[in-house]
Amino acid sequence: MIPIRDDNPQVAIPYVTYTIIGLNILAWTLVQGFGDEAALRASVCNYGLIPGDLFGSGLDQKACAPEGSLIGLFSSMFMHGGWAHIIGNLWFLWIFGDNVEDAMGSLRFSFFYILSGLFAAAAQIMSDPDSMIPMIGASGAIGGVMGAYIVLYPRVKVHLLVFIMVFRVPAFAMLAYWIGVQVLGGISSIGVTGGGTAFWAHVGGFAAGAILVLVFKDEELLLNHPYHGWKQQSDPADIWSDPSNRQ
Amino acid sequence: MRAMYMSDTASVIEIIGDHDEDDGEAAEAEFHDEGIEGQFVLVDGETVLGISGYREVDGCDGTYYLSWTYLDQEMRGNGLGKRMLNDVISRLKDIDARKLFVKVSDYQEDGENIYAAALGLYKSVGFIQEVVSEDFYDEGESQTILGLELKPQSQDIELADEKPVIRFNGLFEIAETEGAYTFEWIVEKSAGLFGKRSFSTEDLEIGINSIREQGGRKIFLTFPSNLVLIHRPLQAAGFKYVGQLKDYYEEGLHELHFSHDLEHFEAMN
Ligand SMILES: CC(C)(COP(=O)(O)OP(=O)(O)OC[C@H]1O[C@@H](n2cnc3c(N)ncnc32)[C@H](O)[C@@H]1OP(=O)(O)O)[C@@H](O)C(=O)NCCC(=O)NCCS
Repeated sequence: MIPIRDDNPQVAIPYVTYTIIGLNILAWTLVQGFGDEAALRASVCNYGLIPGDLFGSGLDQKACAPEGSLIGLFSSMFMHGGWAHIIGNLWFLWIFGDNVEDAMGSLRFSFFYILSGLFAAAAQIMSDPDSMIPMIGASGAIGGVMGAYIVLYPRVKVHLLVFIMVFRVPAFAMLAYWIGVQVLGGISSIGVTGGGTAFWAHVGGFAAGAILVLVFKDEELLLNHPYHGWKQQSDPADIWSDPSNRQ
Repeated sequence: MRAMYMSDTASVIEIIGDHDEDDGEAAEAEFHDEGIEGQFVLVDGETVLGISGYREVDGCDGTYYLSWTYLDQEMRGNGLGKRMLNDVISRLKDIDARKLFVKVSDYQEDGENIYAAALGLYKSVGFIQEVVSEDFYDEGESQTILGLELKPQSQDIELADEKPVIRFNGLFEIAETEGAYTFEWIVEKSAGLFGKRSFSTEDLEIGINSIREQGGRKIFLTFPSNLVLIHRPLQAAGFKYVGQLKDYYEEGLHELHFSHDLEHFEAMN
């Protein structure tokens, strides 16, 4: 089940979405050597986020380079564990990021994205502050984008490819899908010392996005957007059915 | 009925001018500017008794407007008008035309609508009223546009939404009107890397203010029905929906009409 596209026109050019996608690809090629095993291991250690390192509660058993810990809060958002991981994440960002950026403006969207990633990390850290397993992946921040998207455009139809058939489902139905995907296989399923799904990072990112969007959205920009909110008619021309909008 | 020749121009203008002098002048200018292709005259021997015809709408698929349709005063009321119009309609069907529109005013002279006969004629051959623009030609004089399907048009074609960048690049007073203006606009297929937001309320307001400064009375805009991004800005800028010409551009693609009244500040002192 893969979302192919959404019936949601892009109003302005989403420069920040494109930039974030570009940075992730750059990190994957230059830092992570296209997933080359040694490069991948080193990158996860050096640029991943290790809760135990961050608070020193892991004592001396630092798994990786000790100085990388604080930077990891940010750099981990641009690291991935494999081809499927990076492609999956960037594909979601490609489809859903543009409309969220549309609703905020590019600059605000860049802060929104980073903040969602930080909240996602915070949620994961709180769930296990002593963990020495490095966390990587854009999924937390992208979870924030998903959360914002569903709050902004719950009724927009998303085209889902299921085997060879395409179904159009409203965006809010994607919520269940997104959480399902996260539970089944998440960002840090490839870690250095084993790993698993950073479930709380995803849930935290998603929740943070859904709440942050209320502050970050720009009502005036949304005015130009035909398909937002629950009450919106799916046909933008329907606003003219109101008698006061007719001659 | 035969094709109109240049040599018919004088008698044709006389027939039209007989009914309304302004129309005579407007028709003369149109024959001069756009030629006489698609225009036909009803003749009795050498004498021109009536005129009708069509003009194709550029950029549309098989869409035509009915041209000046007038009958010599003496000849009216005998079914000749209807014969002329039916002749034009069958010529259009022969060239595979899809839809025919006609515009008619409700201009009153001495308390009488001088186009009542024309309206009756159009309706008698099956034209259906599609858009009525109030105060179009002048305060109190509306324009009605009627449409006639020359081929059956499907009701349930759903065209894909388009979101091109629309740029306003001028404004002008609409011909034959007093103070009715419209914007010229062009479509840019792609936004370009630094293309700005298409179709903003601010852009519309710049146009509205400029027309207000020129003493305009009302603004009329028309757009294809598949542009999803125009509606909210139009509404925010104070435009009202007037109606639509069905299947105007092509089957399933209508022409939406919007208008905006400009406040008057005259007679303040
Ligand atoms: C319009 C005009 C061409 C009609 O020609 P005509 O030969 O008089 O009309 P016809 O006898 O063929 O009548 C055709 C239909 O129009 C109707 N009609 C004619 N005169 C009418 C009138 N004064 N009021 C209402 N309906 C009228 C008839 O009832 C008839 O309908 P029916 O067949 O369902 O009964 C002719 O009256 C004319 O030249 N008028 C002035 C020009 C004009 O206004 N042109 C249009 C400019 S936009």
